[in-house]
Amino acid sequence: MSVSTAEGMAPDGVKETEGREPALAFKIALVILLGILCLVPFLFVLAISVGHKIEGAGWAFGFELTHYKRFLLGATWPETFQILYLQKLGYSLMFAAIGAVIAVALAFPFTYFLTRLTRRGQTVWLVLLLSSLSLSEVFIVMGWDILLSARSGLPALLDWVGFTDLMKDWGWFQWFRDIGLASPRAFKFKTSGLATVLCMSYLVWPYAVILLYPALSRLEPSLMEAARTMGARPSVVMRTVVLPSVKLPLFGSTLLLFVFLLGTYVTVTVFADPSQHTLAVSIYDSVRGSTLNAPFGAAQSVILLITAAVFLFAGQKLSNAGDRA
Amino acid sequence: MADLVLKSIRKDFGSFRAVDKVDLTFPHGKLTALLGPSGCGKTTLLRMIAGLEAPSWGQILLGDEDITDRPAYERKFGMVFQSFALFPHLTVAENIAYSLAIEGVDKRKRRARADELLDLVQMGGYGDRRIGELSGGQRQRVAIARALAQEPSVFLLDEPMSALDAKLREDMQVELRLLQQRVGITTIVVTHDQREAMTMADQIVVMSKGYTEQVGTPKEIYSKPGNSFVASFIGKANFLSGEATDGKYRVGEYLFEAPKARGFTAGSPVTLAVRPENAVINDTCACLGEEWAKTPPEERAKNVLPAEVTFVRDVGSTRDIYVKTPVGDLIVEYGAGESLPTLTIGEKVSLRLPPDELHVFPRDAEAAE
Amino acid sequence: MRLSKFGFIFMALSGVVLFLPILVVSASALNGGRSMLFPPQDPTLARFGEFFISEPIWRNALKNSVIISLSSAALSVLFAWPAAYFIWKRSTALSRVIAGLMAMPFAVPPIVFGVGLGFMWAFSGGLGTIWAGILSLGALFAALPLVTISIGLQSIDDAHLDAAATMGATEATAFRTIVLPQTIPYTISGFFFAMVLSFNEFIVMFFVSSSAYSTVTLQIFNSLRNGFTPTMAVAAITFIVVSLVVFSLVARFGDLPRLMGADQSRR
Repeated sequence: MSVSTAEGMAPDGVKETEGREPALAFKIALVILLGILCLVPFLFVLAISVGHKIEGAGWAFGFELTHYKRFLLGATWPETFQILYLQKLGYSLMFAAIGAVIAVALAFPFTYFLTRLTRRGQTVWLVLLLSSLSLSEVFIVMGWDILLSARSGLPALLDWVGFTDLMKDWGWFQWFRDIGLASPRAFKFKTSGLATVLCMSYLVWPYAVILLYPALSRLEPSLMEAARTMGARPSVVMRTVVLPSVKLPLFGSTLLLFVFLLGTYVTVTVFADPSQHTLAVSIYDSVRGSTLNAPFGAAQSVILLITAAVFLFAGQKLSNAGDRA
Repeated sequence: MADLVLKSIRKDFGSFRAVDKVDLTFPHGKLTALLGPSGCGKTTLLRMIAGLEAPSWGQILLGDEDITDRPAYERKFGMVFQSFALFPHLTVAENIAYSLAIEGVDKRKRRARADELLDLVQMGGYGDRRIGELSGGQRQRVAIARALAQEPSVFLLDEPMSALDAKLREDMQVELRLLQQRVGITTIVVTHDQREAMTMADQIVVMSKGYTEQVGTPKEIYSKPGNSFVASFIGKANFLSGEATDGKYRVGEYLFEAPKARGFTAGSPVTLAVRPENAVINDTCACLGEEWAKTPPEERAKNVLPAEVTFVRDVGSTRDIYVKTPVGDLIVEYGAGESLPTLTIGEKVSLRLPPDELHVFPRDAEAAE
Repeated sequence: MRLSKFGFIFMALSGVVLFLPILVVSASALNGGRSMLFPPQDPTLARFGEFFISEPIWRNALKNSVIISLSSAALSVLFAWPAAYFIWKRSTALSRVIAGLMAMPFAVPPIVFGVGLGFMWAFSGGLGTIWAGILSLGALFAALPLVTISIGLQSIDDAHLDAAATMGATEATAFRTIVLPQTIPYTISGFFFAMVLSFNEFIVMFFVSSSAYSTVTLQIFNSLRNGFTPTMAVAAITFIVVSLVVFSLVARFGDLPRLMGADQSRR
């Protein structure tokens, strides 16, 4: 979701001249308050990431790059080189990228159809979407946990319809075991990358719809009608008219959701194999969990932040370039 | 008798000069129309009068009082906006009584005043309606009533008819004029429609590119346009480019007399203008013969042109005859009752531009456009 | 315009997948035992009693959730109103800074903002107080009312303000009589958006609450080690019902498609 700023709409004139002084003081107070709440937390992360660790979850201000070194090269470098944390970052990027792409890919046709509905139909769908969107990650994980659980979820369903036996008869079952989606006797989705990505996509799918909604609802129907009168089939209209005009929103939404998913925590702890745990989980462990090393947690947060910033910045550059082209 | 007076008003928006060198007097109790094409600065001028914009230079006086620096909410000139700007969250009566409500007038008096004004604009009984339930014409009446509720010293209307359809517009122009005369309030109407201006106004100010081009009664503006812009903007006009000779005007090899025009020094470039309804067509003319062509211009009949009919349009109330002459294409208009020979396309006729109806303007670079 | 058959099927399937987890969770709340089974075993409504009445852990958590979400949403609106108004009145560098600050927590992975807030409150001694939680969520979601109120302010016709001025209204009077009444639906929508999201917020709350108190979502997460229980499913039902009711209200009293950025001219 983005903050739209209204460019100065008030015409120059008499109405602005009075009461400017108290307004300015008020503005400055607001900036300070918001600065404390919205900016200072990030400064703390930055300061602590170069701070000094005190045993037992404490930290002191200081300047050392130990924590970044540990992240990038391993705690014992230069004797040994460790890529454990880079690997965690890698899983963060991978899960977030796949999850965001799937969500947007499925949200795009849905949103397109949604904007073709009547205003009333759209309103009903929007209520449902917003309700799903606002639902806490813990509840969504709870739902998928049941849906994917061995006893009452999808594996049991596959067993019941005979799919498991069919696969075994055909000798394909071993393949599912090889990619980690089955135990020796039945299908098993917890824990797996598939379950993680599935839950992540589900998590941001309503966001994707809401992000694509403005662009698609502003799509001029006469454009598509014009293309149709010139002999374009629906698929051609989609490829030549709809897609090019929403290219940027599609790209932008994917990027935003990707950044959002970089911080997913509950989904990963529940559905991902411990060997595939992401940076978010590691940050939690350092700050509040088992390992208790606040400066290292802060350093990992800074790296996650920088990663997000790099992607957002690169995305901005790319879309600007695409805009000009 | 407090007239509203503008003294050398100028308005700049950044580097763009929207209004410049405007000196005007709006006589007390009269209706003045600010008339001009879009972008001519007429709305900016109106907003400066209302106090919604501050002039970059100049003075606004109401009687002897300088009100230039007085904010809009102290001037309280009632204004009707192009979009009517009725508040959707208030009822019709609440809209009308808005100015009274913020003054703290008590509720019963407010309602009484609103009902009185609704009667004035023939909308009695509509007080409790929502704005969304009203038609365009009703909204306009409510907007007018609302602007009059505060008994303003000046009543301003910004393109008040533009949101109405053509038929309703004509009726409302007459109605608004009658209302204004009844209330007797100094009124300024901004419009781009010359018919609207001529229907309603005591005085018309023609504006173009931020300047006032001409100020006068509707009749003066129409029959004695001050320049070619006014002649073309108010009603229709045919233009011919020529030059002044000794007391006459030459266009191509034809000579014209225009006794009403002011003197021009010989050789100065001029524009001749004639209204379509003032040109006369004749199908029996000496000028059609071979002999006439050989005569030197000085000896020919003045104000006559040979012409060829290219198109005839009969719209019932008038007939427009399009003709081609050696010095340019012209349109001639005949009313339904006027006698006119039957014309066929391609027919050779003569065209007379009566000296008393011929307007002559200096031709400068701008007017030549 | 009518949907194609493919469109209809696609939307229906999306709807099914969207509601499947919610449906399954809701049904699990009826389980008689301690496990989350689907379909539920020994259906009973006893879990609702546990969640709302008999178990103080859940009752307290629900109370905290309600207090925090209502207060933080009110705070978000308080932050957002002046910001939106300044930006609307005149876009200066300062007002853009304000908007940028409010957008910041929204543009980064929420876990980083949570970690930062945790450090800040620990440093200032506020960690674990309910005020820290309210202020944190108020800042996190201030961008939502900022957006809705900005949309509301932009929908006000400039001519309305001019009209008010010509009728004797000062800026303050015009604000009270024109701007405020016309933006109330947008303000309420913004409040509701912030409220529902605060109610459901987990990760930021997790870092700023320490373990001094917990909200419903925190309580569920903290009990996660022992697996999900049907009582938690009751919490899920409560939350989804609150969301549905609130957004239905927004849709009923405001223009939801417009708030979500739909083109106004098309119906």
